[in-house]
Amino acid sequence: MNLLTLIKISWRNIWRNKLRSFVVIFSIVFGLLGGIIIIAMSYGLNEERMNNAVDTYLSHIQIHNILFSEDYNIKHTINNLDIIEKAINEDERVVSYSKRIVLNGMLSNSNGSYGIQVKGIEPEKEVKVTNTYEKIIDGEYFKSKRDNTILVGKKLADKLNLNLKSKVVITFQDENYELTSLLYRVEGIFRSGNSRYDEMNVFVKNKSIIKNLPGFKGYHEMPILLNDIDLRGEVKKDLIPLSSENIVEGWDDISKELAYANEMLSAVLYIFMMIILSGLSFGVVNTMLMAILERRKEIGMLMSIGMNRYKIFMMISLETIFLSLIALPFGLLTSYMIVDYYSVVGIDLSVVEAGLENFGVGTRLYFKVPNEEYFNVSLMVFVISIFSSVFPSIRALKINPVEATKTI
Amino acid sequence: MIETKKLLKIYNPGKYEVKAVNDVSTVFAEGEFTAVVGPSGSGKTTFLNCVGGLDTPSSGDVIISDENITKLSGAEIIKYRLNNIGFVFQAYNLIPVLSARENIEMIMLLQGADEKIRKSRTDELLNQVGLYEMRNRRPSQLSGGQQQRVAVARALASKPKFILADEPTANLDTSSTSNLLDIMNKLNINEKITFIFSTHDQRVIDRARRVLTLEDGKIVNDIKK
Repeated sequence: MNLLTLIKISWRNIWRNKLRSFVVIFSIVFGLLGGIIIIAMSYGLNEERMNNAVDTYLSHIQIHNILFSEDYNIKHTINNLDIIEKAINEDERVVSYSKRIVLNGMLSNSNGSYGIQVKGIEPEKEVKVTNTYEKIIDGEYFKSKRDNTILVGKKLADKLNLNLKSKVVITFQDENYELTSLLYRVEGIFRSGNSRYDEMNVFVKNKSIIKNLPGFKGYHEMPILLNDIDLRGEVKKDLIPLSSENIVEGWDDISKELAYANEMLSAVLYIFMMIILSGLSFGVVNTMLMAILERRKEIGMLMSIGMNRYKIFMMISLETIFLSLIALPFGLLTSYMIVDYYSVVGIDLSVVEAGLENFGVGTRLYFKVPNEEYFNVSLMVFVISIFSSVFPSIRALKINPVEATKTI
Repeated sequence: MIETKKLLKIYNPGKYEVKAVNDVSTVFAEGEFTAVVGPSGSGKTTFLNCVGGLDTPSSGDVIISDENITKLSGAEIIKYRLNNIGFVFQAYNLIPVLSARENIEMIMLLQGADEKIRKSRTDELLNQVGLYEMRNRRPSQLSGGQQQRVAVARALASKPKFILADEPTANLDTSSTSNLLDIMNKLNINEKITFIFSTHDQRVIDRARRVLTLEDGKIVNDIKK
């Protein structure tokens, strides 16, 4: 008896009890659907979080002085800035860049004080690199002709009860380790979608800092936007030789937790999917055991007339595997269509806005499933179906043909 | 020739042992048409199971054409049954998802026969049992008698040395029984196929040319007509 005949018998066997087979198939389809939608939501959330971070503040590459990255001292500005700027300007892979002065200090008003990071920017250049200007929910993005205006995050504004035109004082250590205080007036309030970021960061014009620190020159941070996020590795390689005192990092080097989240996510989702599919496999095993119980006599007869153990094992295994494999394309297709639809339309999650902001994402979630995940899930279903087939097949082999054929 | 020598089958050896077959020695010559009869629990089915290699005797030998099948391993006995013994069961035991033709052909598939041989042998058997016109019907579309005729054809498909039939007419009405016995009798006479039945059915006993009576696992009577 060749494999084709076994396949034919097994295929027909699973349709003997259509209702039971369909129940199992639908349970696998819905299991797959549930699992893939969770994958889609998780990847969507993670990508949203990553994109939000990259677009709002990280950009694709950043350059710092190595020492600045260690102690954030105002003295440690970017080395060989002119050469770097020249190289960047000539590089076609670079879309734009900006230069930032970064100060760690304290923002105070009559309601209290809060530890913050001040980003001194050139607004015209910054808008080409990050999108904070799009996130202004109140006021303007540096439209005032005055130099001492400040953009604060919504969360910080709420904490210190700041409104437009509120006065705040920023205190920080200058290059001589002297405390310096600068007065600013709130020009705009932004909401980036990441409440932690909104709480800890403020933007001021570069000019306002340079004007008040006559002895200070240079910049601490240079965010660079590329044509393609995946080019960051090769651009980094080209920029590193320009100065040994600087450190050139991709977004994933700077925000390691975001990069790790990507890797962690795949591992966690595989475990999650394994649990779902293992749960479903018990249903398949149970169904097959019932089928074997019903067909004891027939299996006994097959053994009696000379069907060997290997063929009995194969026949039952194929039946079990078929149940999963029939469900697989339907599950994948349904999932693909739903994921495809919501990857464009998105799901409105404004009911849990606060929680999502803490997580660093907006309120509209777009599904995303990398194509290789569909392949991996299919592989998992196939492997689990093979494992599921072993127990019923062994049970079938334990049937005693004499006992089985005796029953009426 | 099939020979049993001091065949003994004990169930529950030890405390509550039952001797289902007790020291049975007999010979079935080629071309015999034998009915093994006896009251319920007399050991008819156990005796046939031991002769057919389905059950392992506690002691004694079953020698078929000079081969002692009790000495064969598990895999060997399965192969032996496939190529040498045909089985007909009381409840037909056809595979419901296969047609009459496929049920018959399946034995030859298990034997690895090539397609041409399978097809001609299946057609020949379907004609012999009078079911050629119904060859594409599944068991559920056939009557009990027709199903049992398919089962006989299936048993013959492997060209066995003999056929063991356990109460083959128990579920059949008078006309189906008569029809089935005619077919088996014809096959026995024309093709010299050895049939051994276990039965309670007087209609079968009347047609048998040898009647072996068992009681408490022992042969108490052996009549050759």
